[in-house]
Amino acid sequence: MSAEFIARASFNTNHSSALRFILSHILRHPLVAILMVTGAFSNAALAAAVPYYIGIAFNAIINGSQWEIVQHAVLGIVASQALRGVLQAMRNFSSELFAQRVERDVRDELYASLLGKSMAFHDTKPVGEIMARVTNDVREMNLMMNPGLNLIVGSGFFLLMPLVVAPTIYPQLILTPLVFLILYFVFQYRFVTTLNPIARSVRVSFGNMNARLAETLDGLQIVKGAAREQEEISLFSRLTDEVRDFFVRQGYIEARYIPFLLLSLATIGGLIHAVYLHQLGLIDTGKIIAFVGLLYLLQFPVFTSLRSLSQVASGYASAARILDIIITETDLDQNEGGYAQPIKGRITFSNVGFGYEDTNQSVHDLGFTVEPGQTVAIVGQTGSGKTTITKLINRTYDVDTGSVQVDNVDVRNWNLATLRSQISIIEQDIFLFSRSIADNIRFGNQTATQAEIEAVARKVQAHDFIMSFPDGYNTVVGQRGVTLSGGQRQRIAIARAFLTDPPILILDDSTSAIDSATEDLIQQAIWAASKGRTTILITHRLSQIRWADHIVVLRQGRVVAQGTHDALLQSSESYRRIFARYEMTNSSNQILTEMSSGR
Amino acid sequence: MAFFNSLSQDTYDRQYTDTYLMRRIATYFSHERRSLLALAALLGIYPLLSAITPVLISTAIDSSNRDDTLNLRWILIILLIVAVVDFLFTWTRSRIITRLVGYGTAQMRKDAFAAAVNRDLAFYDDNKSGKIVSRITSDTQEFANIVIIFSDIFIQFVSLFVLVIVLLSRSVVLTGVVLLWLPIFIGVALIFRRLSRVVGRQGARAMAAVNDNIQESVAGINIAKNFRRENLIYGEFVQVNLQSYTINLRRGFVLALIFPVLNILSGFGSATVVYFGASSVLEGFINIGSWYLFVQTVDRFWFPIINLAGFWSQLQQGLSAAERIFALIDSENSVIQKSNETVTSLKGGIEFKNMVFEYRSGIRVLDNFNLSIRPGESLAFVGHTGAGKSTIAKLIARFYEFQSGDILIDGRDIRTLDLHTFRGQLGIVSQSPFLFSGTIAENIRYSKPQATDDEVEAIAKSIGDGEWLETLPEGLQTDVGERGARLSMGQRQLVSLLRVLLQRPAIFILDEATASIDPFTETQIQEALDKILTQSTSILIAHRLSTVRRADRIIVLREGEIIEQGNHESLIEQGGHYAELYNTYFRHQSLSYIENARTYSPSPARHTRVSLDQRTPN
Repeated sequence: MSAEFIARASFNTNHSSALRFILSHILRHPLVAILMVTGAFSNAALAAAVPYYIGIAFNAIINGSQWEIVQHAVLGIVASQALRGVLQAMRNFSSELFAQRVERDVRDELYASLLGKSMAFHDTKPVGEIMARVTNDVREMNLMMNPGLNLIVGSGFFLLMPLVVAPTIYPQLILTPLVFLILYFVFQYRFVTTLNPIARSVRVSFGNMNARLAETLDGLQIVKGAAREQEEISLFSRLTDEVRDFFVRQGYIEARYIPFLLLSLATIGGLIHAVYLHQLGLIDTGKIIAFVGLLYLLQFPVFTSLRSLSQVASGYASAARILDIIITETDLDQNEGGYAQPIKGRITFSNVGFGYEDTNQSVHDLGFTVEPGQTVAIVGQTGSGKTTITKLINRTYDVDTGSVQVDNVDVRNWNLATLRSQISIIEQDIFLFSRSIADNIRFGNQTATQAEIEAVARKVQAHDFIMSFPDGYNTVVGQRGVTLSGGQRQRIAIARAFLTDPPILILDDSTSAIDSATEDLIQQAIWAASKGRTTILITHRLSQIRWADHIVVLRQGRVVAQGTHDALLQSSESYRRIFARYEMTNSSNQILTEMSSGR
Repeated sequence: MAFFNSLSQDTYDRQYTDTYLMRRIATYFSHERRSLLALAALLGIYPLLSAITPVLISTAIDSSNRDDTLNLRWILIILLIVAVVDFLFTWTRSRIITRLVGYGTAQMRKDAFAAAVNRDLAFYDDNKSGKIVSRITSDTQEFANIVIIFSDIFIQFVSLFVLVIVLLSRSVVLTGVVLLWLPIFIGVALIFRRLSRVVGRQGARAMAAVNDNIQESVAGINIAKNFRRENLIYGEFVQVNLQSYTINLRRGFVLALIFPVLNILSGFGSATVVYFGASSVLEGFINIGSWYLFVQTVDRFWFPIINLAGFWSQLQQGLSAAERIFALIDSENSVIQKSNETVTSLKGGIEFKNMVFEYRSGIRVLDNFNLSIRPGESLAFVGHTGAGKSTIAKLIARFYEFQSGDILIDGRDIRTLDLHTFRGQLGIVSQSPFLFSGTIAENIRYSKPQATDDEVEAIAKSIGDGEWLETLPEGLQTDVGERGARLSMGQRQLVSLLRVLLQRPAIFILDEATASIDPFTETQIQEALDKILTQSTSILIAHRLSTVRRADRIIVLREGEIIEQGNHESLIEQGGHYAELYNTYFRHQSLSYIENARTYSPSPARHTRVSLDQRTPN
């Protein structure tokens, strides 16, 4: 399997199915598994010892006051239960150890596999969804082991114990536990299959209700402004009633839980059978008592089975979802033997076609060239394919048709690491790690000295605001009320990129609002950064568009116009419309600028 | 506990007495009178039934021991009947409870939602909507659990009580032996409760650390990949993951002890009953059957006791959930209308007379504010954050109550208008344009549900020749996603403007978005704005130079006071506060700035490359 990163500790788990995946994680800890199963077995066996000793005690009294035997029986109960407690604790400890280890290992494996996925993978998966896999689903696998599997194994032996021990009291007595077991499995199966679809409907309808509720309250100003309170209330009532109806239906099904009836019928049936055998003189009263006590053992599995089964089921579903991510193949590989040279900075798109999905092409027949050292602005409406272009250059995605070349070499023939390490992308939503500002700036170049960091920060107009924090460069991002504005984050990101000195810089400009002074600073930062390297700007700022060496206008994934500002004013209608609004007021603005700059 | 409660208090929370709460909770079930009566009847009989089974079984064994066949047959038949009836009762009881809980919860959710929707916006300034949502969904659920807790506890308690009486009638001494174990069981249960709370908190904290770590590294994974720093973040992850493992294992080990300990205790309990029971039989105090009854009941005794130990805290949880919901339902609006005169068609004249407004008493935002707006006029408000721009807009929409003075709409006191019909004549676009899930067409139609498809389409196409619809997969029928998340910020703004265009309101209020939009969409937004301005009286809280310039009159606010007014040119000429604001916020949006941008760059290196682009700044 190709991966962009391989963790040092690799897990040799089986990925062919969710069941095998779970099993292979279980088998990583064979000793713990054995302890758990033996613990569970001895727990059930020693629980069965109680009715056995009670039967002996009763017989001893009935058959003429053999006090010594009673004392032995009592000691037997005390000793067996003390031993049982110890063994049960051992079982619980080992299943806990087991569950926690599985959680730790699965999370580690999943995390390492996530690091190995391509950028395209992370681009398409929302962070929230991945978080849900790594946190909730991994936790579900823990709970599947304990209490889920622990209870199922444990209560399984409680189900079996009457079946195994009853014949030792009297062979025929196997009848009641046997019939009970068969009927129990039949009804349990039917119960689960009828309950599942309803339970799903309850969850879905609750989700719908909750989503609309949150939405309405967030948009309450619109609701009030449009005087639509009454309509929202009746819509919410409808959604609430839907939840209620499914909830009640689920409750009705749960109310009719036949195994409860089976349990009491088994006790009585067993009692009748035993009494009948007693009348035939085949067993004594002590054995009736031992047998009835044995049947009481069935209570535990019947009462716990619902919870433990659903726990295992949801753990299984989680394992399947986790496995889905682990086995997702990402189609790009490192291309270790590829072209590996310093980039000069020429970028060529020729007849490029690409779509995120096969059916829906995002860009068509793109063609343009950027010369080394040039600054190119890409403009167009949202959804016109601007960001896609940047993703094709560093091979986040590969083109479907045509080719993208860097220094006249197809990017697919470049060594991936060499290519990417020389291209720096500053994304729209700037991400900074919660560590110090200095660490953030040196993220791409760990060997940078404090002096180098400060020099870079000065160049991108970040030094002054960084020094305005009490802790300066050691200020931790996002802590103790230190909130950075969009413009500040952007300048730190530019500094981070600057420090790795990439020959190609791609800047997807943020849309955050700024004032005029910040605009000045950002302009200066970008100019400083673009000096001496190929720069691609995806920008909304007219000032940047105005002064780019080359402008590419996109519309619905096609280049509709390209050239310099003056050329575009001649050739492109939509480009002209943008600037047309300004021309009528141009003269007055001239005066203002002169005033405001004090000239 | 009390400490944490006080932390999570909201301003509208209030205290009710427990009896008041109970009585009010009961009203949510009172319409299900028949179900309630049936439940009460079942609760009366059911505990007797469940207590009788062990008695019958022990009698059966006693009879069998004495070879009393006739008696035995009857007992077994009664046992069978009891088992079936017991099951039917349980079934019916669960059905009734489900119904009560389902309907009670739904009704309470509806009441809480209606209350939340009718609160004025001042309420939401103080209370986050997320917290209100959880009151409406989770607290209602928790409150409904009271019914379940009550019926469970009632049954367990009464059956225990019945059992104890039966046991006492058989042997006082032996009952004493059983009851002696009670405090030990309760003590152990309480100790574990406290222990597990402590280790549980530590475990949760360690988990939170892992989640934080993953959240951050997943969000920043493309940065890590771009700079090839995978090993660094993997190393950090392994560390916190291991720490969480260690702490959660310790927590698990504590919890794993509970059942073994209780089982040992219960085994010892059985042993004492067997021992003392045997001696009682030998001394002739009780018969074999009674002895067996004691042996059987020992097991049934402990677990209800452990449940009872947790009863009070569960009940308190349910009651405080109910209290939170009732507080939401009972909270009061600050906006109060003197009468409800229907508003038919407005001309759009607005007048503020000596108006005083404060968000919180003592913090005066507007003091003796006077302003008169002619019908059809468009006004742009400019000023620093906190100058009172948005406040004026919110007061016109009657979202807040003012303390004194008057606001007159077409000469009528705003406090006498019917808010429903009045707001129907307002078109409001807020700073972060908000769309509801559904299609674009549905959103455009939101304030005018009766608009035809053709009208909606005509409005949508009237802007930029409908070019903006091209990038959307299904045009007007495109699903906008929750809160409009699938559309770009610019598209959302455009849709919310179209909503107002379709509505043709008498008064248009725009709190302009501050985010910058791609220049193509921006051009279209401005076209839409042009159209609205010709239709309505407009209140513009402007962030864009182009919007400010289009207004008939610019009002310059500072600390709630109008300090300058006029049009753009004359205000700039004055060189006062407006000129200063212009320099701070708008200068970079002017064409001259765009044309001269490069001269602001101090970088001399830039000029060495002039040869490359041949253009020199003018």
